[in-house]
Amino acid sequence: MRLNNLFTSKRLRWFAAGIVLFNGFFPAVWIFFTSLKNEVELTAKPITYWPQNPVLTNYIAAFRDQPLPGYLLNSAIVSILSMLLSLFISALAAYAIARLNLKRRNLILTCIIAVSMFPLVTLMVPLFEIMRSLNLLNSYVALVLPYTVLNLPICTLILVSFFQDIPRDIENAAMIDGCTRLGALWRVVMPLAAPGVFTAGILAFVNSWDEFLLSMSMNAAVAYRTLPVGIQMYQGEFSFPWPTISAALVIALVPVVTVILIFQERVVSGLTSGGLKG
Amino acid sequence: MSQRSLRDRILDPSETALAWALLTPAILFILAIVAYPVSKLLFNSLFDVRPALGVPITFVGLDNYATALSDSMFWRAVKNTLIITFVTVPGALVIGLGLAMLANMPFRFRSPIRLALLLPWALPLAFVGLIFAWFFHSEYGIVNDVIRRFGGEPQIWFNSPALTMMAICIATIWKTSSFMALILLAGLQTIPASLYEAAEVDGASKWTQFIEITLPLLVPSMLVALIFRTLTAIQSFDIPFSMPGPGEETQTLAMYIQINTVDYLDLGYGSTLAVFMFMLSMATTFVYLRYVRGDKD
Repeated sequence: MRLNNLFTSKRLRWFAAGIVLFNGFFPAVWIFFTSLKNEVELTAKPITYWPQNPVLTNYIAAFRDQPLPGYLLNSAIVSILSMLLSLFISALAAYAIARLNLKRRNLILTCIIAVSMFPLVTLMVPLFEIMRSLNLLNSYVALVLPYTVLNLPICTLILVSFFQDIPRDIENAAMIDGCTRLGALWRVVMPLAAPGVFTAGILAFVNSWDEFLLSMSMNAAVAYRTLPVGIQMYQGEFSFPWPTISAALVIALVPVVTVILIFQERVVSGLTSGGLKG
Repeated sequence: MSQRSLRDRILDPSETALAWALLTPAILFILAIVAYPVSKLLFNSLFDVRPALGVPITFVGLDNYATALSDSMFWRAVKNTLIITFVTVPGALVIGLGLAMLANMPFRFRSPIRLALLLPWALPLAFVGLIFAWFFHSEYGIVNDVIRRFGGEPQIWFNSPALTMMAICIATIWKTSSFMALILLAGLQTIPASLYEAAEVDGASKWTQFIEITLPLLVPSMLVALIFRTLTAIQSFDIPFSMPGPGEETQTLAMYIQINTVDYLDLGYGSTLAVFMFMLSMATTFVYLRYVRGDKD
């Protein structure tokens, strides 16, 4: 009983929460601290933890040394376009799989999910050659199309499970009122499945936002670099301007942190539904 | 409208046609971005394709494969990849399980805990690599600072391949364990509390409950998470790229493929290396599926 009391005691819960919170937030907090330190403080020994004289010069340098807004814009364009495209394509496919008179629907769903088993590095090699021969290196298309396919499995999986939960009667009622099948999908099913559409969309967005290998290989030119690639460009051959890199990282973190702050419950349900049902 | 015409509509044979029409964009995308490139990959792996040199594309049979098998850089890349896989997959599982158990305690405010698990998942791998490279900085890094405070010997982490691999593995485990924790946490929450109450009545200790109830019931969610974690570990690129060791000592297979393809424009050899990567992934999936199936029998 003593042991049980220990396990449920308030102090232990605080301790557990402390570990989880420290593990999750420390790297971001540390980078934020680094971004506020000036050159003198950064090279002080022993190193300081709390910034002694916080400065914002590193943020100015982050914008001066690299076209950070351009990188942000490229990442946003690529991620949003591929999110919309994968939502559109997977909604159609998911509706066919969840609702329509289709033989071997499970086999078709498995085939779509199997795409996610495919190593991206393997795809990168032929895609690089194809994009190169089509003169599509350094373009948004070179990233949007592959990202769309990468997002297809998880989006389809999530949408199928949400579509299946919508009562058929509501759809039938809409069709009695003169809606076509596709009209019912657009006007009735999609709005009712909005939480699923959101979940799938957020996962697609974050996946595309985070991708590095394809982005670096396809879009090396400054004008088309996405954030993860652009961030790597602050370092010179022999120099690592850590405070500037830290400031750039903090700015780059803002969009993703905002997304998970607003949509945390949706993200968790999406991740775990994909994990548990897949 | 009558009941009959609605029935007719739903059972309309053209519904199957509509279904296939709706599946068409997905199929076209998969054909264009996966199936066609893969066939091109297999084809190229049998040829000498070096467009930058202006040499004509010539059929070389299995020469590229023979080259790879006697290429010490290829084997080093495979070795590094396997080290990362065998260290970080179990590592992420253990740490993830620990985080999930801690996060499963009855907190009043769940939101900060959830955010703490989501943030590492949402951070781009390339950022995590940079952040941890800064942690392990030999002069101003926090890791060496902590080592110094405890009276240890600070290390020049990125001068030694072994220490660099260690730093890469730590960064990878940090990044991936929270996703593992989220999946396991969802699994934990599906375990009925009545099981624990019954065990309590029988006088089972907390440890016995963990071994006899928690772990077995978590196996299904663990396996799914493990398959995906292993497949991504085999493809490790972003973190080792952002945390380079001395020379190319800590290059992974994905990095070697990328350099041969994009930097050297040796598309034939790059394709061959990518085929090896593909085989490694397929073998992994096969082993897991076999295990899962064997488990159910």
